[in-house]
Amino acid sequence: MNIDPELISGEGVTLSQAMSMGGETIVIGLSIVFGVLLILMCVLYVFGLIFNKKPKKTEVSVPAEAAAPVVEEPAEEDEEELIAILTAAVAASLNTSTYNLKIKSYRRISDNRPAWNRAGLRETIGNRL
Amino acid sequence: MLESFASFLSNTGAAALFQDGGLDAVKTLIMLAVACVLLYLAIVKKYEPLLLLPIAFGMMLTNLPVLRDSSAIMMHTEWFTDTSYMIDGHSLDVGMIVREGGLLDLLYLGVKLGIYPPLIFIGIGCMTDFGPLIANPKSILLGAAAQFGVFFTFIGALVISALVPSIAWGVKEAASIGIIGGADGPTAIYVTKSLAPQLLPAIAVAAYSYMALIPIIQPPFMKLLTTKKARCVVMDQLRPVSKTEKIIFPIVVTLVVAFIIPDAVSLVGCLMLGNLFKESGVCDRLARTAQNELMNIVTIFLGVTVGATATASSFLTPSTLGIVLLGLVAFIFSTCGGLVLGDIMYVLTKGKVNPLIGSAGVSAVPMAARVSQTVGQKENPSNFLLMHAMGPNVAGVIGSAVAAGVFLSMFNGL
Repeated sequence: MNIDPELISGEGVTLSQAMSMGGETIVIGLSIVFGVLLILMCVLYVFGLIFNKKPKKTEVSVPAEAAAPVVEEPAEEDEEELIAILTAAVAASLNTSTYNLKIKSYRRISDNRPAWNRAGLRETIGNRL
Repeated sequence: MLESFASFLSNTGAAALFQDGGLDAVKTLIMLAVACVLLYLAIVKKYEPLLLLPIAFGMMLTNLPVLRDSSAIMMHTEWFTDTSYMIDGHSLDVGMIVREGGLLDLLYLGVKLGIYPPLIFIGIGCMTDFGPLIANPKSILLGAAAQFGVFFTFIGALVISALVPSIAWGVKEAASIGIIGGADGPTAIYVTKSLAPQLLPAIAVAAYSYMALIPIIQPPFMKLLTTKKARCVVMDQLRPVSKTEKIIFPIVVTLVVAFIIPDAVSLVGCLMLGNLFKESGVCDRLARTAQNELMNIVTIFLGVTVGATATASSFLTPSTLGIVLLGLVAFIFSTCGGLVLGDIMYVLTKGKVNPLIGSAGVSAVPMAARVSQTVGQKENPSNFLLMHAMGPNVAGVIGSAVAAGVFLSMFNGL
């Protein structure tokens, strides 16, 4: 690339030189940056196609697991799974094995914490982020 | 007895202060005051203290009054910038520096030879999780858009050079100032030490100070450039990313970057090496050392020596004022670049992308992502954007390293 000597030393740069050099650099620079990252994006999409197939199966269980502890979901969920999670949770908190426990019944309760409590919880989480 | 006492007095710092006359004494005192202000910002205001404190103290050390040619001088900035001290007027006389240099001269070689920033990148790589980026590939483009400020500021610097007679910035200086907009300290230092070493202290101080101010700089523009409806968008949960993907990713990125822009490899390659230490799971000890001891040691060396380049003659100039101004411009336009592409993605995906994650494309990890999270949660308290914003955030690190590579390949060696 040919660059005017004024633009290299910085002495006596004219406005038109500055604008044309700047314009050229912004086009070259941004297109290279976008080009490299576009290629990486395509690579990542290929990753998704190759690697995201197997996890699809487990994905069904992931949202259920995540949702269950909230105990607010409608009862249409897979009951067996929910009971397995409840058993595991009780076993963990009682420090015993799941084999020693039998869930006979469960009852959903709504989130009856006062609004201030919930706001406080949210704020605490927010502060730690 | 009286004689030796007098000769001791003539060797004190107080006597040395006035060896070059009153004006230089005032300049020295101003520099010491600036160093103290920066120390205050680091200690009391906690602006990036891990870097600003060593930088400020290095600035103080280098400006302490010492007699000319005294062996107590810790840093000879002129050896690194003045061509009359160099071999054939252009290459650094490393032999002389090693033989005669003070402590900071020796440590500064690590900056000048481009050793410290890549080492820091190994540590950053160990601490970076590319999972959110792999799960949402299009967020990588936000990291590219947020480099807009880098190139825009490049033009800005050239225009200022054309309009202000006392400022003579060429393309190299303009590139070093522009790279502040990448919001990435090591990258800025890496570019500046190659292209415009005389601007290094001002650029490092501007970059790190504005990085600490991101939570104040970004939110007004985030609100200005997005609609309330778009800010409330809750994004889909990210897919789980397998270990294999996380291991292949750093290898592929290094290869792709090397094939297109080799000048960026020393930064991107080290970033990915560190990341591979972590993701491979077989180099646990190396990963721990790289992100703790190694990074801390290098940070101390880097901070003190960069601060030590800030002598009165290089720092108390109109250029410094211009750099501080343009640094802010760079941060603002980078933020806006990311946000505008975020808005475009919001429209193209019919409201599935929250444009607030665009501002996280500036690479200050994880501060910029936290700002997206905070601003998003103000609009919709049940919205958690943090992980979505981490994607553009780590992409920004790659983006600014590539932008640095572009500048180096265009202007290094002119």
